[in-house]
Amino acid sequence: MKIKTKFFCRGVHIDDKKSLSAGCPIRDVAAPDSVAIALSQHIGKPAKPVVAVGDVVERGALIAEADGAVSANVFASVSGKVIAIERRPLPRGGETDCIVIENDGENREVSLKPLQEITPDSVRERVREAGIVGMGGAGFPTAVKLSPKTPVDTLIVNGAECEPYLTCDHRLMIEKTDEIAEGAKLLALALGVERVIVAIELNKPDAIAKFDGVDGVLVAELRKRYPMGSEKHLIYSCTGRRVPPGKLPADVGVIVENVATALAVYEAVKLGKPLVDRVMTVSGEGVKEPANLRVPLGTSYRYLLDLCGGETDDASTYIAGGPMMGATLLSTDFHTRKTDSGLLVLTARQASIAAPTACIHCGRCAEVCPMHLLPMDIDFYTLAGDYDMARDRGGVLNCIECGTCAYVCPANRALVQSIQMCKQKLREKR
Amino acid sequence: MKYLVSDSPHIRGKRTTRGIMLDVLIALLPATVVGCIYFGGAAVASIAISVVSAVAAEVVFRLIKRENIKDILLNFDLTSVVTGLLLALTLPSQAPWYVPMLSSIFAIVVVKMLFGGTGKNLVNPAITGRVFAFIAFQSVMVSGWLAPSIGAISPVAASGASGSVSTGATQLTSMLGGNGLTVSDLDLFLGTGVAGCIGETCKLALLIGGIYLVVRRVIKLEYPVIYIVVTGLVACAIGKDIGLFVPSILSGGLFLGAIFMATDYVTSPHTRVGNWIYMALLGVVTAALRAATKIEVVSFAILLMNLLVPMFNAYIRPRVFGAPSFVKKLKVKLAEAREKRAQKTDKEDAQ
Repeated sequence: MKIKTKFFCRGVHIDDKKSLSAGCPIRDVAAPDSVAIALSQHIGKPAKPVVAVGDVVERGALIAEADGAVSANVFASVSGKVIAIERRPLPRGGETDCIVIENDGENREVSLKPLQEITPDSVRERVREAGIVGMGGAGFPTAVKLSPKTPVDTLIVNGAECEPYLTCDHRLMIEKTDEIAEGAKLLALALGVERVIVAIELNKPDAIAKFDGVDGVLVAELRKRYPMGSEKHLIYSCTGRRVPPGKLPADVGVIVENVATALAVYEAVKLGKPLVDRVMTVSGEGVKEPANLRVPLGTSYRYLLDLCGGETDDASTYIAGGPMMGATLLSTDFHTRKTDSGLLVLTARQASIAAPTACIHCGRCAEVCPMHLLPMDIDFYTLAGDYDMARDRGGVLNCIECGTCAYVCPANRALVQSIQMCKQKLREKR
Repeated sequence: MKYLVSDSPHIRGKRTTRGIMLDVLIALLPATVVGCIYFGGAAVASIAISVVSAVAAEVVFRLIKRENIKDILLNFDLTSVVTGLLLALTLPSQAPWYVPMLSSIFAIVVVKMLFGGTGKNLVNPAITGRVFAFIAFQSVMVSGWLAPSIGAISPVAASGASGSVSTGATQLTSMLGGNGLTVSDLDLFLGTGVAGCIGETCKLALLIGGIYLVVRRVIKLEYPVIYIVVTGLVACAIGKDIGLFVPSILSGGLFLGAIFMATDYVTSPHTRVGNWIYMALLGVVTAALRAATKIEVVSFAILLMNLLVPMFNAYIRPRVFGAPSFVKKLKVKLAEAREKRAQKTDKEDAQ
């Protein structure tokens, strides 16, 4: 059944380029010769390794366990021998410990014990056990979200996928409709809510049609608008509730989970499969054969690109994630993590590499800012070194870093980078 | 393997500063062409002098600042062309050659470049250039208005005859002076037989340019509309005559100022609400100053309000998405106060 949606009037319409990979069914990726599984694939403390170099593990075996409440278990994604535990760089900077496993090609597999009975507590426990985190990009441990401090009445399954190029959630919604609905119902059971809304942008009519026929879930048809997938704006569009600054969605009675997370919950509860792989989109004008792939965690980006026929000759810019919020890569020597939804290769024509010019105060950034901030003021005060003014006048701490302001900026200002720097400086000062 | 690093967002919209300035130039085209037809070769020369000296002033200034000539030419953003053209359109056609030249050099060097170039100026360069000309070359700017070569279609009195060389005063000054209009509203709209600056007489041409800017989303429709309507209404209120509405919005440089100058990004508030208030205040200031001084004051009004823009930016800021509205906050505060009072009385009762 479809529900009425609200209209949030900021944001911007972007050519979504989804047709490059929207028609490609999800392909299973053969396990690579070796994987490097990061211990920090989520928000919170990195997991603690429970294996040592030389140990032999199976696919689905626990190799690192959650360290504290806000952390997540990590599992082996191939069967083989642990050959190293070493520091590896992360796409967004910094580094993390990785467990490197050499594939022995035997594909031995273990799974979690089947659940005796499905109760809210057992589902919550299983989600924690299976190491499930928010797979839309933030990577917040799902188990923590399932025990909100305030009463909630609505679960929104986020299938907006507003980032251009990315189609992994779209493909999942078409191919695994029932499983996602089932996973959403399990999440709803754990939360004790009745209302489950699947939120999908109008540019995915086939996914909307599929979910429309499923019992027990409501479908919200969202206008195509970036950043529709932002938690706060999704909640407003679906329920009309506004999350106040500094508050969590649970404070207005809503929990938002990504479709991929819902699927992972289904697989963990019903099939006993821990989080060992995820679907991601490899796309962009610089990739010869764009595809949607089911990738074992820890697979190197190079391996994925080679599977997609490699890059075209004019490929220039490599991005982990979507083109709006993703990180530029300086090499392809990174490894898939739980939060990776895309790997893009753009050509010099698509990628924005023009130098910034002077701000002409046109006000376009303020006009499109979904958080109703003043990006031009943040930029001005940050570059002047007055971070307090950037906070007070520009409202920098409320920024969701969606990049809409920089997208529309005619002067090509690096607004997002200013904002990130300002936030960093304010954090240091505190 | 070559990696090109881009900042997020890695894709960008197609709008550029140069593109926006080009749109403004295109929008000014009808007014420029009509001005040249109305006022002949003198107007063409005036416009050319103004534009060339504006561009030259910017290039020379940046060369003196030891900027690379290649950088200057590659990153040339057309703003000085817009300034030069706008300035020329606000000057009378028969002004001697040094008036447009000196005014546009003043506009570019003093008003724009000395403050840091594009985007850093406090006041609109073209407006300030005109005000400079008004003060420095008063004899030209106050009395020497020329009527266009095309005469009024429907003159009210015989004095507005076709081909008159110099009327001495514009329709607006004559109206403000209590002498009444010599042409009909239609003539005011088309600029036929109306003395005035090169670009300001034909409102139709300006309107076409304004519609182009609105369609291209360079300016917002409501900004000039608010300015023009408020000016007309306040003029009616001051004159206590509703009939003043149409002549007071159609005469003088109001259309040129409202569509092209008040909406200048750099010197108008950042936010939409700020702009509404700004435009309304501009209307009030324009009408009031017109009534007080009996001369055309659109440029002075805009210059005055330009100086207040930092105040607008400091105090008029949008409410963050999800933050409680003013009314809501007030309600919460009232509820708190009521609760406190209730507690107090409870305590007193207990005592």
